[in-house]
Amino acid sequence: MSIDQKFAPIRKGLLEFLVLRIVSGTTVYVADLLKRLAATEFATQEGTLYPLLSRLRREGLVDYQWQESEAGPPRKYYRLTDAGRAQLAELDQYWTQINKTISDMGT
Amino acid sequence: MRRVITASLNGNAYQIEDDAYAVLATYLENAALALATDPDKDEIIADVEQAIADKCARYLSSHKSVIARAEIDQVLTEMGPVEGGGPAAGPSVAGAAAAPGGEPAGAIGGIGATGADSGGTARRLYQISDGALLSGVCNGLAAYFHIDVTLVRLLFVALVFLTGGMAIFAYLVLMFVVPYAKTSEEHAAARGIPFNARTLVEGAKQKAAEFTSGGDWRQSRAEWRAEWRRTRAEWRAEWQRTRAEWRAQRRVRPAPFAPTPPPPPAAPATSHVPYAAHLVTGLVLTLLGIFLAVFTVVWVIALVSLVTTGAMFGWMLPNGTPFWIGIIVMVVIYELVAWPIKALRHARYQTSPYHPWRGPFDGVAGFAILAVLLWYGYHHVSTLHDFFEHVRSFWETTVDA
Repeated sequence: MSIDQKFAPIRKGLLEFLVLRIVSGTTVYVADLLKRLAATEFATQEGTLYPLLSRLRREGLVDYQWQESEAGPPRKYYRLTDAGRAQLAELDQYWTQINKTISDMGT
Repeated sequence: MRRVITASLNGNAYQIEDDAYAVLATYLENAALALATDPDKDEIIADVEQAIADKCARYLSSHKSVIARAEIDQVLTEMGPVEGGGPAAGPSVAGAAAAPGGEPAGAIGGIGATGADSGGTARRLYQISDGALLSGVCNGLAAYFHIDVTLVRLLFVALVFLTGGMAIFAYLVLMFVVPYAKTSEEHAAARGIPFNARTLVEGAKQKAAEFTSGGDWRQSRAEWRAEWRRTRAEWRAEWQRTRAEWRAQRRVRPAPFAPTPPPPPAAPATSHVPYAAHLVTGLVLTLLGIFLAVFTVVWVIALVSLVTTGAMFGWMLPNGTPFWIGIIVMVVIYELVAWPIKALRHARYQTSPYHPWRGPFDGVAGFAILAVLLWYGYHHVSTLHDFFEHVRSFWETTVDA
């Protein structure tokens, strides 16, 4: 089993964290999100992202607004809500702690 | 020339080649399955449709208005399988992460994997009239037990001999008791395979791939036949749809549907023809239905008497003729008589506004051929002549008694 496969469940779990981070910077629509993630280990696809965004919105962590685009139909632009911001802060903290735990472990 | 299907993606019409449409429909169906428990299912599907539409747009220009199969494959590979919204549900990001540099088929394979365990359909016994010799009982049994229909028929004939004709009664009972498989779901249930569009499409795709990749001729032929059956089923579905549309249009407008206005003098005549054709076929069909029912009963009695006593209506098989030849001849006779009636029955559906008399014509032509054959047999084949004479004398004695 390659490292890539071993970490697949972890990447999947972290995808939400990454999406929240991206959305926290600026309002984005799905194509922006995909582009930001494409160059990383977290490259993903619409098929995964739409259900994830829908769940985050349902949990009140993100919100969207319809915006006209230069070409084509209006797009959903996502942004972080206050609840999302609070959650992201917690996640950041938790992530730092996990990293510390890992690096403290072993030699 | 290819057939093109117009599909609505999030409220906008797109022209898609038929096989590309099948792939797209499967993808969306699987998406709906994966999101079955998601409260925002409709919204996500709308988003996904919009994303697909956006991706398709890059293939379209003023010179190209139809989306092809390869393009849909590419678009869906980019989309990736739609995963359930739950944190633990669905396949991992792994496939997606591998996709940019990897095999395009990987993502499509992922769709198949998610749907693969979506439950099997309970197997049920149906009669299958498609390719049936008589009623479709053997055909249905063959589908149920996953064996060749010829084998079932041979077994049945053997059973008829072993049970002294009782198997025929078993057949009759099954014929009246076992329902016909009419819908695609029922056809799938008759074979006990899980039904959804994905299975159908993938089965067809697999067959096409195997067929094009060669293999020995027997296998190819079997696959070609399967493919042909599928195509026929599609055609049938299409003309049923056309018929339904046409009927709907008839209901709305009392005048029959005419895509190009007929020349004025011909108009009154054409407007009556379909109705008259319907009336005549309806009337003739009722009579023929009764005739076929009576004929079937007489035929079964004759067959039973042939099998049990070696004679029918007092007429013996010519010396040295084996039973099975008699049975085959009986089946051929039945088919000969039933064929024009079946043609006429189909005529009811084929009565299109363009050729209202074509269907009935086929049936009548069938009867004419049958009549000529019977007349020829009566005058030139002594065995047949004897047979008819025996039937006549048997009939007369029965009526007298």
